[in-house]
Amino acid sequence: MTTLLEVSGVSVTFDGFRAINNLSIAISEPELRAVIGPNGAGKTTFMDIVTGKTRPDSGSVRWGERQVDLLKLSESQIAKAGVGRKFQKPTVFEEQSVRDNLAMALANKRGPLSVLVWHMTTSDSARILELATEIGLQDRLDHRAGDLSHGQKQWLEIGMLLAQDPRLLLVDEPAAGMTPGEREHTTDLLKRAAKTRAVMVIEHDMEFIRRLECRVTVLHEGSVLAEGSLDHVTKNQQVIDVYLGR
Amino acid sequence: MVSTNQPDTARPARRSLLHTNPSVLWFMGLLGLFTLGVSILSEGMGIGVLSTSMVKILGMTLCLCLIAICMDVVWGYCGILSLGHFAFFGLGGYAIGMWLMYARTEIVIRDSLAGATIPPTELEVTDAVTAQIFGVVGSSELPLIWSFAGSLPIQLAMVVLVPGLLALVFGWLAFRSRVTGVYLSILTQAMTLALSLYLFQNDTGLRGNNGLSGLQNIPGALHVPQSVLSVWFFWASAFALGAGYLLFAWVVSGKFGSVIKAIRDNETRVRFLGYNVEGYKLFVFTLTAVVSGIAGALYYPQAGIINPAEIAPIASIYLAVWVAIGGRGRLYGAVIGAATVSLMSSWLTGGGAPNINFGSYRFLWTDWWLVVLGLGFVAVTLFFPKGIGGLFDYLVRKKP
Repeated sequence: MTTLLEVSGVSVTFDGFRAINNLSIAISEPELRAVIGPNGAGKTTFMDIVTGKTRPDSGSVRWGERQVDLLKLSESQIAKAGVGRKFQKPTVFEEQSVRDNLAMALANKRGPLSVLVWHMTTSDSARILELATEIGLQDRLDHRAGDLSHGQKQWLEIGMLLAQDPRLLLVDEPAAGMTPGEREHTTDLLKRAAKTRAVMVIEHDMEFIRRLECRVTVLHEGSVLAEGSLDHVTKNQQVIDVYLGR
Repeated sequence: MVSTNQPDTARPARRSLLHTNPSVLWFMGLLGLFTLGVSILSEGMGIGVLSTSMVKILGMTLCLCLIAICMDVVWGYCGILSLGHFAFFGLGGYAIGMWLMYARTEIVIRDSLAGATIPPTELEVTDAVTAQIFGVVGSSELPLIWSFAGSLPIQLAMVVLVPGLLALVFGWLAFRSRVTGVYLSILTQAMTLALSLYLFQNDTGLRGNNGLSGLQNIPGALHVPQSVLSVWFFWASAFALGAGYLLFAWVVSGKFGSVIKAIRDNETRVRFLGYNVEGYKLFVFTLTAVVSGIAGALYYPQAGIINPAEIAPIASIYLAVWVAIGGRGRLYGAVIGAATVSLMSSWLTGGGAPNINFGSYRFLWTDWWLVVLGLGFVAVTLFFPKGIGGLFDYLVRKKP
């Protein structure tokens, strides 16, 4: 188990509001990690920083064995380096079929010219079917993604994330809008993914997190309040005060 | 969760372009029939029902359809509302116009000097050509950009290179700074306006507001009557439209099409998939600019004249209106929109349509056409967001 991502001393301010305050957090590969915290704790902003959407005012984000500085890379370069992200609100390409959505996410060359001459190989096709089966959409490959239910869109996005074959998965509220059965399936999926990769999950649902059976980081006001097993952090008086008690 | 019926994923997914896009075959067939029909009815080649000027108008319309396809790819598929593509069209026209004008003037000068006892030197010929072309703007020096005007291959290369380079540089600057949406549209308007104003000046070497004229006379084919030339150009325009249609149908049908549609719908998300959005936009913008240049190079020899007013901002706005009325996001929609609106426009404003008498008020199409077009645009936007092309969805029920 080696450290894959190391965020240290990161701060970011939006119009005077300190969204992230000297945050330091690290994740190994493979590892499953849950991130919890009250609204406005900086969970999503943290993901924005790692994926290059938001530039921090200070601090550093180091990636992989060669300690690459992610802050110097663009969003697409970070994604190519192996960081995949699932957004809070499911964002799939609604006008296009489930198959096209997955095909776009597949870990193939990303340049305009190679994409222009790209043809789906048998192995691409098989991989898409495998992913679709994993996310329960194998019968809906040729349907518009926009016609899927909310939960299915969530899954399609998780499928696209897996198709990218990233080393780190950042998953923002994967279980929102899912039925209990779907939630259970999602936990299985994430746990399986975390056997070979680093997976970081933001969630509000404590039951969901309990099922993940992993290390938990509690964020509050832009920095880490507590870290450890779920039982450990839920016994922490500060955590109870700012988050669980409310 | 695991279903028993295997979906069709297992079969090899390599399907031909025509198989996945039956509309391409339809389009090619109709274009072929139309070309054949016009040839048979033409004055130059057939029974003479269509006058030479009518054949020219139809040929020019095909060129407008080609630039409309470019607009559809850049706007309808990639989501970049470019309001400057007519600049590329005009540049293509200027590039070929320079050769047409220079080479023809040279032939005329050589013919007139042929009887002289002392044969003219090359310098004398060049000077005479320069005086002939640039006398109108009071200049006697051949501008630098005309250095290769006598060479057809070089000017043909310019048809592609000049619009391509302008699009590449402009696009690189604009997309790299992540200018999107209405701001990008304004920038493209500024680009075409600046270019048009620049060309209006007499000292830019392209004859100011006089533009280039006499382009209908093709050097090397001066003995060919216009009635026959018009059909040749009609064929060339039809071929270019067909080739352009195939090219763009191929570009937008595969994964590339998927990615640019995804950029249109949510470019941020595409970045997080690892695609370099700016590179794709630049590719699409430049490719469509190049094809627009080719369309312009075919259009202006049929129009006979090009001047800076052709690339005024309004032209590019019309282009967007055609595509919106025809139906964005489908290539045949752009063709339908461009053909319908531009033909109606020339019919109604050219005095072809009868004016209507409302008692004391006489409804003149020349006065009211733009109002009607504007209302039509609003109506299409409000009630048929998919445009005229959208009507085909009702005809062809897609399988669920």
